[in-house]
Amino acid sequence: MPTETLPSGDAYRRHVRAWLTVNVPAGLRIDQPGYRTPDLETCRAFEAGLHAGGLAGITWPVEYGGHGLTIREHLIANQEIGRLGLPESINSLGKELAGPIIMAVGTEAQKQRFLRPLLEMKQIWCQGFSEPGAGSDLAGLRTRAVRDGDNWRVSGRKIWTSASPWSDRCLLLARTGALEDRHKGLALFAMRMDAPGVTVQPIRQIDGSAHFAEVILEDVPIDAADALGAPDEGWSAAVRVLAIERATNRMYRAWRFENEVAHLVRACRANPTLNGIIGSGEYHRRLAEILVDIEIIKGYVEPTVERLAEGEAIGDRGSLMKLHWSEAHQRFAVLALELLDQAPPGADPEVAAARERFQHLYLRGRAETIYAGTTEVQLGIIADRMLKLPRER
Amino acid sequence: MTNDTHDALTAFAATAANAVAECAGLAPRARATCLAEAGLIGVLAAESAGGLALGLDHAVPVLHAAGAGLLGYPLLESMLLAAALGGQAEAARIVLGEATATIAWAGRATLAGGRLSGTVGRAPMADSADLILVLTGTGAALVGANAAGVTVRPGDGLDVEAPDCEVVLANATPLALLEADAVDAIEQGAQLLRAAAIGGAVETCLAAAVAYTSTRVQFGKALVSFQALRHAMSRQKLAAEHIGAAIARSLMRPDDRLARAAAFAAATRFGAAAVESALQLHGGMGFTWDIPMHRHLRRIRSWEAQGDAPGLHRRLAAELLTANA
Repeated sequence: MPTETLPSGDAYRRHVRAWLTVNVPAGLRIDQPGYRTPDLETCRAFEAGLHAGGLAGITWPVEYGGHGLTIREHLIANQEIGRLGLPESINSLGKELAGPIIMAVGTEAQKQRFLRPLLEMKQIWCQGFSEPGAGSDLAGLRTRAVRDGDNWRVSGRKIWTSASPWSDRCLLLARTGALEDRHKGLALFAMRMDAPGVTVQPIRQIDGSAHFAEVILEDVPIDAADALGAPDEGWSAAVRVLAIERATNRMYRAWRFENEVAHLVRACRANPTLNGIIGSGEYHRRLAEILVDIEIIKGYVEPTVERLAEGEAIGDRGSLMKLHWSEAHQRFAVLALELLDQAPPGADPEVAAARERFQHLYLRGRAETIYAGTTEVQLGIIADRMLKLPRER
Repeated sequence: MTNDTHDALTAFAATAANAVAECAGLAPRARATCLAEAGLIGVLAAESAGGLALGLDHAVPVLHAAGAGLLGYPLLESMLLAAALGGQAEAARIVLGEATATIAWAGRATLAGGRLSGTVGRAPMADSADLILVLTGTGAALVGANAAGVTVRPGDGLDVEAPDCEVVLANATPLALLEADAVDAIEQGAQLLRAAAIGGAVETCLAAAVAYTSTRVQFGKALVSFQALRHAMSRQKLAAEHIGAAIARSLMRPDDRLARAAAFAAATRFGAAAVESALQLHGGMGFTWDIPMHRHLRRIRSWEAQGDAPGLHRRLAAELLTANA
């Protein structure tokens, strides 16, 4: 569909629903019978389709492959996508981190070179921030970038690098100054993952999969054209973009959460034993509290979208939402496991499918209070920046 | 939100905070006059009753201030009831502060042959009220607190400053009747305004915790420098923001009953925990009568009971199970 014809507002919601009805492949919806875990190529093709259909890159300028709509349409698409229980993006770091940072600090040539391929899923990105010695405290980053004529050479180690086993580019944060400079002297690069000297060593995660890796960088050459922003600008650009991203990324979460709750309840209701258990008063309060938890997430997202649409600043509100969502999601996963584990022995395909989904969610959910700033980091942000509590004197 | 609306809400909040502060030194009857003169009781009421006929968005900052300042007056009940009574004479008396009104939130009275009987409860400050709304099976009825067949007696709530009362009805004559939809509007409005009041209480208690831990020195440094305590206050702030977020969303979606219920449920759950945490940070001082944490806690638990938070949870769960059968 040509971008210019995309409608806005309610008409856009109708467009999104119609597109999803026609284009979501059978077996991609995790709460439906016949679901199969999609492989990388299926995900890539589906996400490319979402973009072509006007459901990704929604707020990005048309000249960079986006659709030139507002954050309100971005919210609508996320609500409709979330409701269907579709696969998580395999390029979320590209779309929600690298893209916005390139938009903020990249040159015109870089915007032309990176943004459209990323939306079209021709380039998948990972994020090279964390290191073995620098997790929550990125100021302790040790990976070094040194000048090589006009170009750069980078050496160091990155860890917990999600999506790196299948990524084409890495949004790399590296030090150009001295370690004592802490947050100064950090630069951002769009590093090629197939460059000489890049070694990806997948790390097995608690659910048995290997979606993240340790990335070893040995004298990796990076073109001057792949440096993003000025050498000192990396950290400030990242912080600036992250504050907004934390509030707006994966905006579908509340609605996907609703899909999970509905899936759990349906699976329990369809099983005579579990139907009796979930209908008992013991679970009423916990189920209701989860509904309320989801409403609170929406309460952060929807008014925040309105404020952003009105051009208002949102400060550190992203920390509040991230903190609440991650903890509420973990509480839900515990409830789901507890309920499903009370099913009697014997084949019940619906319970089996739900158990597979929610066992996975329980394990993967442990990461949600760790990545993108741990719970403790978020609490620190609230204490320091929102409450402005005095430090020790 | 337009700038004009924003300015109006800010002005409402400031007026309400001043009036609430002034009320603290007044007898209950004088509080009515004070609040009426500030134009607060009639925010929602019809213009024909002397009200401002504004929306709940304007009542939210008023109740926020009432909760923050521990107002000893059934303002939430008076505002909602004055609005529900439309242009009736009782509405104007409530708006003007000539009559103090409250609502018995628990129990149902029997209305037969035009007479009311039965026992209802959770009526805040009914012992000093002139008018009491009691719920019936099909709607609600307004009675005079001192009328024949109406007996007010102490209830068993935690709040001692705005005490819950029971009302015993023996062939009492109603002054006015409300239909079910008017009662529903009152109950829906009350969920939002209780959330606003609890949000105000949380912010007061959090501010007190910040002030206390910033000055109290133990182990050679101010308590506020201990990370465990800083994080506890971050959790209190999170609670206040949860409540504010749920209220903001409910105001954006006035017909969304789940959003409305969530505002109240979030306020009772996170608000009570936040005030308990603020009390904890005061150490032994927090356990004393003089430090007002317990007064806020008592008030929040009373609001929780008046709004029947457990019953609300049961209804939300039942609806979820029905929708996914």
